[in-house]
Amino acid sequence: MISARSSLPLALRARAPSLTKSASFVFSGLAAFALAALTLIFLVQSLPVWGQEGLGYITGTKWFYRANLFGALPMIYGTVVVALIALLLAAPIGIGAAVFTSEFLPQRMRLAVKITIELLAGVPSVVYGLLGILFLRNWIYDLFARFEPLSGDTLLTAGVLLGVMILPTVMTLADDALRGVPADQRRAARSLGLNATETVLGISLPQAKRGLIAALLLGLGRALGETIAVYLVVGRQDNNLPQNIFSVRAWLEAGQTLSTKLGGSETNIAYGGSLHWAAMVGLALILMAMVLAVTIAGAWQRRTHDAASL
Amino acid sequence: MKISTSVFALLAFASFAQADVLKINGSTTVNLPAAEGAEILRAEKKMDITVDTQGGSSGGISALGDGQVQIGMSSKPVSDDDRAKYPKVKFNPIHIGEDAVAMIVSKDVWDGGLQALTKQQTQDLYEGKVKNWKEVGGPDERVVFFNKEPGRGTWEVFAHWAYGDPKKAPQVSLPEVGGNEETRNKVGSTRGAISQLSSSWADGKKVFALGVKTESGEVLQPTPDNIATHKYPMSRPLFLITNGEPQGEAKTFLDFMLSPQGQELVKKHGYLALDQLKTGSP
Repeated sequence: MISARSSLPLALRARAPSLTKSASFVFSGLAAFALAALTLIFLVQSLPVWGQEGLGYITGTKWFYRANLFGALPMIYGTVVVALIALLLAAPIGIGAAVFTSEFLPQRMRLAVKITIELLAGVPSVVYGLLGILFLRNWIYDLFARFEPLSGDTLLTAGVLLGVMILPTVMTLADDALRGVPADQRRAARSLGLNATETVLGISLPQAKRGLIAALLLGLGRALGETIAVYLVVGRQDNNLPQNIFSVRAWLEAGQTLSTKLGGSETNIAYGGSLHWAAMVGLALILMAMVLAVTIAGAWQRRTHDAASL
Repeated sequence: MKISTSVFALLAFASFAQADVLKINGSTTVNLPAAEGAEILRAEKKMDITVDTQGGSSGGISALGDGQVQIGMSSKPVSDDDRAKYPKVKFNPIHIGEDAVAMIVSKDVWDGGLQALTKQQTQDLYEGKVKNWKEVGGPDERVVFFNKEPGRGTWEVFAHWAYGDPKKAPQVSLPEVGGNEETRNKVGSTRGAISQLSSSWADGKKVFALGVKTESGEVLQPTPDNIATHKYPMSRPLFLITNGEPQGEAKTFLDFMLSPQGQELVKKHGYLALDQLKTGSP
């Protein structure tokens, strides 16, 4: 392609748009268009439920579709709690592993470990879900037996499983962020007499702070949208909002998240233009807004980080 | 130019190949014999068949309604609501066998002495009025009710029996289970658990099928005889559904499932084949 272009007259060559440039323009335009169209469709199709319930759609605590009662709060609660547990688990382990690979391992070992962990991100989520059913459910059920959970299907089970699933994302992005800290800084620290631990705690981690936050936010974005693995272990119990939303004991109750509600067979029942369908689409809209907000915040942190380290 | 032509050709080929695949979706109950039938046809006739269980019976019906599949699998009849939702689709349910739904419990409940429930007791359990098994003659253990998702064929059969009409069943907020495998696994691994499940999936080792106690005190078990004569109240037909008369690959598949070889698969998975259903019964 390069030779073909260079044989063109000079004036034409300058003006002819390159295939790569126009193709990437078209495709990113397509992606933006798809997102905008999706949001618009969700918004239009969910209008009836906003009309009937108003803001009560988000703050309502009861969802009984045959009584035309649609309150999404228990599902928003479930989504947030499950994602939070996942993050609490993935943050220390992911960043800890990233410190190890980026600060202590020689380059070749680092790549080997990093690639192995990234491979975990490619395992289909239904496989995680089945492992969750086979092992994790029973472990949680037995381990917390003295708190008497009704079964192994709990928000905690789903959160732990999700934590494992987002670990590769958090770890590999955190590793990138730490590698972005210039080696000169570390050498300077060491020459001032700081030991390896002090260098990590005093230099690398603070300097990579924005990148690390971005890693966590992008992991969180993945956690919010995950469906099938959560679906298999969360219990899918509607309207199970605890009295006190900060109660940790409630993590051992079954719950429902926005994505598991959408993944269930209720979507088939709702299909066809009714208020019920509008309510289901509204859930999708809320979920998309949550994921978008977190992802954009994450991408923003990453960008400003990149600019600062130039 | 050249690239775009070949991309176009590729796309055209892909959509052509797509059209050649026989797609089937629906009930996890019907899936067992259907998936095995598909396996045989794949090997013997080199047919391209995919069998999926997205959303259970109602998933099968809506996938057929949307034209995503050529055959829907269902363990419940097509309702008037379904027909109203897809007015252009001619649902053509083809009866391939019969099955029964049972209330199934975990081993500790069974061993604790509970082996049959009346309709009233089942309703009380479902509505959360009974919270401990000893209230209905079982062990001193909390009740954990895993509800089959509404919309699943199993749930509809249960609701028909317990409340006369699925629409009259009170709306409850219980933990829900989807496919049969998930149901069996979760009931088997939880103390005090109960759920609704195809009786042939109750293995008698980790999960046990309860009998139905009638008002006169008779206990009806989901035996082949009781299912065939509809004496057992939660029996149900199994269907493969097409849009209009089956044609082409779909017809080949249906003919196979109705042939002696296909009916043998229905029996193999614990369901009743058509010739086992007593003639004369409704």
